[in-house]
Amino acid sequence: MGSPDLAALPLQPWKLFSKLLFYAVIALFGILMVMPFYWMIVTSFQAPQNVVSFPPKWWPQPPVLDHFRDALAQAPFLLYYRNSTVVAAIEVTCCLVIGLFAGYAFAVYRFPLQGFFFILILATLMVPIQVTSVSLYILMARLKWIDTYLGILAPNFASAFAVFLTRQSIKSVPFDLIDAARIDGAGEIRIVATIIAPLVKSTLATIALILFIDSWNDFLWPVIIINSEWLRTIPVGIAFFKDPYHISFGPLMAATSITTVPMIVIYVFIQKFIIKGIATTGIKL
Amino acid sequence: MKNYLGLAIRRKWHYAYMFIAPIIVLFGIFRIYPAVQTLLFSFFSINIVSKEYKPVGLKNFLLLLEDNTFLRSIENTLIYTVYIVMLSAFLGMVLASLFNSKFAFKKVFRAVYFVPFITSTVAAAVVWSYLYDPKFGLFNMLLRLVGLPTRGWIASSHDALASIIIFSIWKTLGYNMVIFIAGLQGIPDAFYEAAIIDGAGPLAKFFRITVPLLSPTIVFIVIYNTIVALKVFDQVFVLTAGGPADASTVVVLQIYKQAFENYRFGYASAMAFVLFVFVILITIAQYRVSRKWEVQI
Repeated sequence: MGSPDLAALPLQPWKLFSKLLFYAVIALFGILMVMPFYWMIVTSFQAPQNVVSFPPKWWPQPPVLDHFRDALAQAPFLLYYRNSTVVAAIEVTCCLVIGLFAGYAFAVYRFPLQGFFFILILATLMVPIQVTSVSLYILMARLKWIDTYLGILAPNFASAFAVFLTRQSIKSVPFDLIDAARIDGAGEIRIVATIIAPLVKSTLATIALILFIDSWNDFLWPVIIINSEWLRTIPVGIAFFKDPYHISFGPLMAATSITTVPMIVIYVFIQKFIIKGIATTGIKL
Repeated sequence: MKNYLGLAIRRKWHYAYMFIAPIIVLFGIFRIYPAVQTLLFSFFSINIVSKEYKPVGLKNFLLLLEDNTFLRSIENTLIYTVYIVMLSAFLGMVLASLFNSKFAFKKVFRAVYFVPFITSTVAAAVVWSYLYDPKFGLFNMLLRLVGLPTRGWIASSHDALASIIIFSIWKTLGYNMVIFIAGLQGIPDAFYEAAIIDGAGPLAKFFRITVPLLSPTIVFIVIYNTIVALKVFDQVFVLTAGGPADASTVVVLQIYKQAFENYRFGYASAMAFVLFVFVILITIAQYRVSRKWEVQI
């Protein structure tokens, strides 16, 4: 909040000019940010002969659904949605449960090799999937997990980032609460599930959201491990929809609209929460 | 805090190990073991079908030094990283300082700037591959409309890497801006008020208050963008597939192609090892610098 409040300033001529300039810059970048999405949607509704016309038609007249029909005939998008949803749901659930209990252990207990295990978990962040993918693939081949759901999920059952954030959050919970529950005879698992989890639910929600976005958009590992069309997640499906030797932009834009617009609509409703979550954790892995 | 940690807590070792066992086992199998294997495999020639592992010493690394495509991919990755860090971080900071004042529709604009970041890189890159099309793409159509010469974009070996860089700046700008806004909001107004009383102009305020107090955020942004940029893959795969003629290839794409198109797993492991060294060097730099600046994330 360092700069002066522009809206409150009286409008002298040069101030009016600087205010206009300010809005022009903000608006210009805003247009650059949405223009690709706008053009994607316009093209997907454009009549086929208008897609390649010059000068470009800025608005589909009249809007037609031909490209959507073509796109839906070419690829099973519903199946891609199902695969992405199943993978993301399992990853988020596993990471949250495993992260919550591990985070609790690191925050509340003192045990031998605690520091070592904590550093070991964080150290895995230094070895990204881009480095391990080759040998992980060989491991998957030995386990016969190539081209299976298990193979897609394998590197993402647990998240170091989830452990780290839940530990931070649980550290701020008063230990009196835990002691009181113990005196009442609650077991450790029940304490985590019924006392700790509700107290750190906003942290858990942020973690869930970031993990979900990551899983939903993940590409490198899925494209390596998936061979069959019926297992493709959305990014893999859309990448292979783009046939480099026979590009037909209308159906291609309809296909990207089908896969991105629903997520953008959801984003519009929860954007405040998403931006806050990412700004406060600073992390998207 | 120590008062609360009575004997009751210390005795619960079996719970502690039970709670951390899942992540330790899963990471051990799917992260740490493959990481060690990568290191090991880079000294082998591997045939995945016949399951033959032949030790070849340093041969893979010596071949890397003569592999012009790989050297090109390292050069491209470093060029890409430098541009992303400089332009995306710099623009992010400029936009954040514009956003650090009250104005109409501020929240709406912030949300708009953030849309590319939450969209899948693959889907966004597919849209851009259309925008970049030399014949029917919007960019060349706009150039023609205003009477400027058109460009080859992703189809030209001269423009391909630049096209990927422009796409990635568009994709990451919103993230950098949001992190910078959070950093700017952490600077107390009192500093600026004191500076105004002392007669400081906008530039003096920017360079003497904003930049020094924003240093932890700047360090975080630079490191984060560097590590993400070194791992770039999705947009290259979609936009150019490394072409034309390897003009825009990057390290991870080379790892992918050698392992999963040419089945040279040992050779690809050696490449992954080189990438790992780069990431580790940056991480060590991060550790050193962030201790100095006490970065809090």
